Amino acid sequence: MAQPRISAYLPPDIDPTKAPLAFGRRALPKLNEELQSPELLTQQRALMALCDLVHDPEKVYQAIALGFLNNLKTLLVHHDQTVRQKTTEVLSIVALHSIGRKGLIQSGVISALTGLLDDPVDICRKNTHRIFDMMAKLPEGAGGILQAGLISPLILKLKTELDEIQELILDTLSNCLRVEVSEALAAGAVTVLKEKLSHPSTAIRSKAAWVLLEISSHAEGKIAVCKEGVIPVLVSLLEDIQPEVQVNATGALMFAAVTPQGRSSAMGAEAIPPLLKLVAEETSKARLNAIKTLTLLAELPEGRQTLLDHRDTFQRCLDDPSEAVQRAAQIAITVIEWKP
Amino acid sequence: MVPTMVPIRAPELDVPYSFCSQPRSLHPRPKYREQANAAETEKGPRRYGNIMIDPRVVRGNALSLRLLPESTQPSTPEVKKQKKAQKKLQARKLTQEQIRPGTPEPVEGREHVHVQTELYLEEISDRIIEVDGECQTDEFLDRPPTPLFIPAKTGKDVATQIEEGELFDFDIEVKPILEVLIGKTVEQALLEVMEEEELAQLWSHQRAFAELRNAEFAELQRLEEQDRRIREEKERRRLEHLEKLRKQKETAEKVAARAFAQRYLADLIPSVFNNLHDRGFFYDPIERDIETEFLPWLMSEVEETLQKKVLGRMMLDSLIRMVVEKRLDEFSRPPPSDQTAAPVEEPGATDAAPQVSGEADAADQPVAEE
Repeated sequence: MAQPRISAYLPPDIDPTKAPLAFGRRALPKLNEELQSPELLTQQRALMALCDLVHDPEKVYQAIALGFLNNLKTLLVHHDQTVRQKTTEVLSIVALHSIGRKGLIQSGVISALTGLLDDPVDICRKNTHRIFDMMAKLPEGAGGILQAGLISPLILKLKTELDEIQELILDTLSNCLRVEVSEALAAGAVTVLKEKLSHPSTAIRSKAAWVLLEISSHAEGKIAVCKEGVIPVLVSLLEDIQPEVQVNATGALMFAAVTPQGRSSAMGAEAIPPLLKLVAEETSKARLNAIKTLTLLAELPEGRQTLLDHRDTFQRCLDDPSEAVQRAAQIAITVIEWKP
Repeated sequence: MVPTMVPIRAPELDVPYSFCSQPRSLHPRPKYREQANAAETEKGPRRYGNIMIDPRVVRGNALSLRLLPESTQPSTPEVKKQKKAQKKLQARKLTQEQIRPGTPEPVEGREHVHVQTELYLEEISDRIIEVDGECQTDEFLDRPPTPLFIPAKTGKDVATQIEEGELFDFDIEVKPILEVLIGKTVEQALLEVMEEEELAQLWSHQRAFAELRNAEFAELQRLEEQDRRIREEKERRRLEHLEKLRKQKETAEKVAARAFAQRYLADLIPSVFNNLHDRGFFYDPIERDIETEFLPWLMSEVEETLQKKVLGRMMLDSLIRMVVEKRLDEFSRPPPSDQTAAPVEEPGATDAAPQVSGEADAADQPVAEE
């Protein structure tokens, strides 16, 4: 029952770890000032409050207009781990918004985050990689990451980091390597990825195969992939249980088999039977990629001979609901029946 | 610090009570020192201070020894010295009183003993028998809460009771409130779920697009590769063809050249041989020998012989000339009978050889030329 006496307890929904928010428009400027205060507790409380506010896109817009990102950049190198962790969390949520991503690129936060790759705290590193992942999905972001020279450190980190962080790194790499691949090849990416192809975790295997796909879509990547002998490993992955892994492995093979050396090594690794199995499955997601790979392999005379017997498999693909599969099957049949 | 003792003096009965300082009522204590000096000089109407509020008056427990400070002004060193001298005097007086003996010294072998002679013995001791008595109030208790003031009852008692269902029907009234609450919650939840779904859809859409793009890209690369191969193949074949043509041309030229050369040189050997033969490279050694040695020798011999003959003839010519000249000389004198002898001589001379005349002419000519 309501009483006129003032209670000694605080109201039930006040969180003592967060800074109290000012009303309306004043909330963010006040938080900005609190972030710059010399006292540690004030900074931590302001960061906790900020974390909750940046889920709202309007607040993100206001924050960037107020110049929050510069303050957050200076806080990234703070000695206290809570401050660093919360700052990276705030930045990762900001990166989820498109305005936030643009603001991050403009204020050059990416290069400031380079130092956090070696942070002793796990969560800071994970948030840092989340930020990189979201930034890499934008073309300008991927360009920014390439310019900051982050590819070689990321590839080095692949060898030593935790599994979850490895997944994030692989996602980042796959988006960045779509643009340019020379730096990664110089850092020996193909060798590292070859090891990851035999990792016990499904997600890492499929993502590693995706990165290899992106690498081998470039010419120098194809050469490197053939040289390192990744193709037999990819062929063995074709028989993997998980469909994700199958799709990505088939895609990587598809790109690698464009070059003649790739084609001959794929034939040597006896890629045709598993690929035919994948094509025959009606619901396989890897159908499109498998058909394309078989098309490539059919350009070799031995391949053509083998595939002439399996023409009916392709005929059945013509009934697939997806238009792309139908087209690919058509092209495959044309190539198989081509006579010189 | 030892508290200063109040000096004990024997009361002087016949002297009237005298004070150290005459009692007087004090002026009110001034706040500031400058004011104090001013108050002393001014002899205006004397205002007496209220001793109840004078801070200089000792208040409180009268039995506790709380001494006034000696003076309100700070004691100067001279005043302190005077006080110390006074105290010393007092102390010396005390000790001197104690040292003065009351009774003479005891005789040898005897001892004086203090004895009480009163009726009742009294225990004398320096120390006063003290008994400590304590008195202590109880601990202060918190002021107990004021008891509720319940004023006396006045007025009439009236009661009223709201039965269920009279004021409002809870179920009906709560509906809109509940609707709003649950509606908002569900709406929020739906929004979040929709957002997540949208995100998932976007991801899958992007993924599908990426796959299609990759497939198309691979197709593009395959066609590019094919095109490149075909172009390369064409280029190679073209080059091969050119090479073949070139070689063919070269071969034809070579054949033609060979045929021509063959023909040209077909009679090379005979002509060479002929030339050589003509130049005299192929010689019969005996013939050569004969030609190179024998014939010159023969010719030289012949020449020699001819020269001899010529010499002979010349000699003969000169002889004849001499003879003829002599005869001419001889016969110039005589008559012309000699002239018939001379022509007879000349045909005789010409009989020797027709060459002789020729040679005579020849000899005449060189002689004439000389």
